[in-house]
Amino acid sequence: MKRRQFIGAGLAVAGAGVLGARSAFAQGKEIVVSNWGGDWNDRTVKYIEQPLLESKGWKIVRDLNTAPQRRTKILAEKNLPRGTLDVAHVPISDAYLLNTNGAVDVIDFGKIPNGSDLVPAIKLPYFVPWLYSTWEIVYNPNYIKTPPTSLAELWNPKYKGKVGVTNQHYEDYMQMASLLATGKLHDLDAAKKKLLELKQVNQPKVYESHQQIAAGFKGEEIWIACNYRARGLQFAKDGVPVAVSFPKEGAALQTFGVVMPKRATHKAEAYEYFNALLDPKQLAELCQANFYSPASNKVQLTGDIGQKILHTPEQKAKLQSPDFGFLAANTAGMLEWWNKSFV
Amino acid sequence: MGPEKGARLRGLALVLPALLLVAAFLLAPLALVIRYSLDVYDPASLMKGVFSAENYVKLVSDPFYLRVLVFTGEIAALSTAICLVLGYPVAYFISRSTSEKLRSFLIIITVLPLLMGNAVRAAAWMVIMGTKGLANAMMLGAGVIDEPLKILYTPTAVVIGLVSVLLPFTIITLQSVLDAIPGSLEEAGRSLGFSPLHTMFSVVMPLSVPGMLAAGAICFCLAMNAYATPVLIGGPSVHMMGPLVYQQISKVTNWPFGSALACVLMAVTLTMTVISTTILSRRYF
Repeated sequence: MKRRQFIGAGLAVAGAGVLGARSAFAQGKEIVVSNWGGDWNDRTVKYIEQPLLESKGWKIVRDLNTAPQRRTKILAEKNLPRGTLDVAHVPISDAYLLNTNGAVDVIDFGKIPNGSDLVPAIKLPYFVPWLYSTWEIVYNPNYIKTPPTSLAELWNPKYKGKVGVTNQHYEDYMQMASLLATGKLHDLDAAKKKLLELKQVNQPKVYESHQQIAAGFKGEEIWIACNYRARGLQFAKDGVPVAVSFPKEGAALQTFGVVMPKRATHKAEAYEYFNALLDPKQLAELCQANFYSPASNKVQLTGDIGQKILHTPEQKAKLQSPDFGFLAANTAGMLEWWNKSFV
Repeated sequence: MGPEKGARLRGLALVLPALLLVAAFLLAPLALVIRYSLDVYDPASLMKGVFSAENYVKLVSDPFYLRVLVFTGEIAALSTAICLVLGYPVAYFISRSTSEKLRSFLIIITVLPLLMGNAVRAAAWMVIMGTKGLANAMMLGAGVIDEPLKILYTPTAVVIGLVSVLLPFTIITLQSVLDAIPGSLEEAGRSLGFSPLHTMFSVVMPLSVPGMLAAGAICFCLAMNAYATPVLIGGPSVHMMGPLVYQQISKVTNWPFGSALACVLMAVTLTMTVISTTILSRRYF
């Protein structure tokens, strides 16, 4: 074979390969989803992505990382012609920050049929709410026989050395302390004073994240802490000796959902993905597995699990939604104080 | 133009594209970080787009950040010193091994931990150093201690973790330098009546100072900028610069202050490495 023939044959083979790949892409849909890793992503795949999308030929590329990393990536990409993410799972406060910085699209909820009956309090124009939970008391019932009814129990001196705190939830702990002191979530001075009192009275053990505080409960290093109701119920299901109690002072809402980065390249697919997330049947199964409350009123949770997950009307009346503008403006100062004075 | 100059110019022309590319990819992000560090944080727009020394003023005037910087330097220096003390005999042993098979085996064993990620190794240390971990279980079992020791989430744990990460770099760097020192010099020393220890301290070690400097500089730089080990093994209460930069950039999106911390960390690391290398070089060369 002459050199020209060889090159020609090579180009023909390469061309056929490219065309083949294109036709393969055309058959299915492709989307890049950024999400948390671990059991959160496992359940998203198991209950939503696999049965509703991948089983129909979708190719989902997963970019798994922490919420701060995801937020930073979206912000860094906002001035590029094309971003790398089509859908990002975020907490609602991050959605607020991303929108303030012009990094996410306004959502056309008309394109999400399953999103026609979302819980109004947690729906934002640029954020599709998916799951929510509340910041409550988690305790070891083997040592604390009477379920604690007040956040003040964490300050009870009889639990000295047995109180746990998670470092990654500094905002939640500051809101909780403010709620106890003033009945509102965002009195920073009152929160700081209260937390210093906690530090002095009970010398709380500081863990980095959910997994570590669960290990702390399991090893009986701690007996009482605060966490999302959903996480407390998950710990209990996994054999950690804990129960969850709703505090009489009320509880802060924490909502998780999805946003569409401004530079997303598969926006039509992103809307289909949003719709799949809110599929009533699959979302009900997911909530029964991870104990989060569904953001869609179309989802029916019944029986014992429904009772554990859903809030009673009395509890609903005491739920407080954070002021995201306040958090965005103060989170840097809150973390600085937390690092310097609390941990 | 002489032939030598022409050859040099041709060589430069060949290297220039690569040089420019490397410079662009290294220096452009660095320039951006320096620019960000001179901006001012704004929650609504991330940065105000101004020039200000505010972040640097905050950094040097706040005892917390200065303390973290000094603490990071102390941890890095201690880890480097331990790595050199532990790594030198191992590197010497590998270098003087006459069996090629044993030598290859030892090098592979040394490098093996580098094939795992830092986070994986840190997770293993967490299992070992936890209150109910292997180390405490063994000491309790042997009756050395009555109550579990708190090792994890302490500065000691960070030093142990960093030494385990950095030791392979130290050994490999030292071994390559010790390889270049002919064994005949040691034989000459011994023929003059030196004991093996005397030969080591008066012949081998002075000749291996460049390797020690290189290994020390690598260890120190890596330890100053460590992230995974301080976060996972040090826990929330042990504050070091790497995690602090991450916190500011990612957790609270304060890119200007995070960039200022990164610039100061880089400058301090560079300065300390250059100063120590220069002083030691003058002392030994």
